[in-house]
Amino acid sequence: MPPPPVNPNAVFLNIPYDDEFQKLYLAYIVGLSQLGFDPCITSGVPGGERRLDRVLALIQSCRYSIHDLSRIELSAAPPATPRFNMPLELGLTITWAKLHPKRHTWFLWESTPRRVQKSMSDLDGTDPYIHFGTVEGVLRELRNAFVRDNSPSVQSMMEAYRLVEARNIVGILAGGGTRNLYSASVFRELCLVALDAVRRTKDAIKP
Amino acid sequence: MPRPVAHITAPIEPLETRIKRLRIPKARQKELLAIMDEAWTRLAVERVKRPIISAQRGEKLESASATR
Repeated sequence: MPPPPVNPNAVFLNIPYDDEFQKLYLAYIVGLSQLGFDPCITSGVPGGERRLDRVLALIQSCRYSIHDLSRIELSAAPPATPRFNMPLELGLTITWAKLHPKRHTWFLWESTPRRVQKSMSDLDGTDPYIHFGTVEGVLRELRNAFVRDNSPSVQSMMEAYRLVEARNIVGILAGGGTRNLYSASVFRELCLVALDAVRRTKDAIKP
Repeated sequence: MPRPVAHITAPIEPLETRIKRLRIPKARQKELLAIMDEAWTRLAVERVKRPIISAQRGEKLESASATR
């Protein structure tokens, strides 16, 4: 089966889907939207036997990918087990990019310097972008990784983020906890809200 | 390998096209944009209020100090 066409502005987000990551999740969506990209996540991909094929197809359709390994850790509930979906998707991506370097570029993100060297020593020599677990860190590093003419300032990106975050819009979209923030439908709504925030903040990039 | 930097040359699509691609029903879009309208209005009101409150507390206004 031929690979799907590449969307030059699509960024595959390989991130943890947990409560503690919500702020950074929102920062990625707002920041990427403001830089002119379309964020993509796997939550819309149905489960089952063919899920891995569909995840690979999503990676192949994105020109870039961000792999945030900052929350690879043991689960609190026994038996303590790390989840390996993210490293697995990183592995798929690395292979795809090795085979087709002009079609895909991947970025590694972490919250702590030198943690990747400990958790995945095979990646030694690959410097990750470090966000220190902060929203501002994510936005700053997005701007460092994706260089575009007339990129908005980090301050302007923070303004868009605050607009989405300040009035509990995330809480409203989550329906007071009844809807999963990482589900496909809420993700799309967050993208809409982020694009609207981009429109409202002053020095967003104009097409 | 140092961390990669992507120099983007691909044009940015208009916001309307990107919003359309999200395939959110029109009615829901309206609801969400109304929430954003409210948030934007409140944020704007707060921005106006904040310097007044700061001045009442005797704090120096940024714009005031910049003019000196």
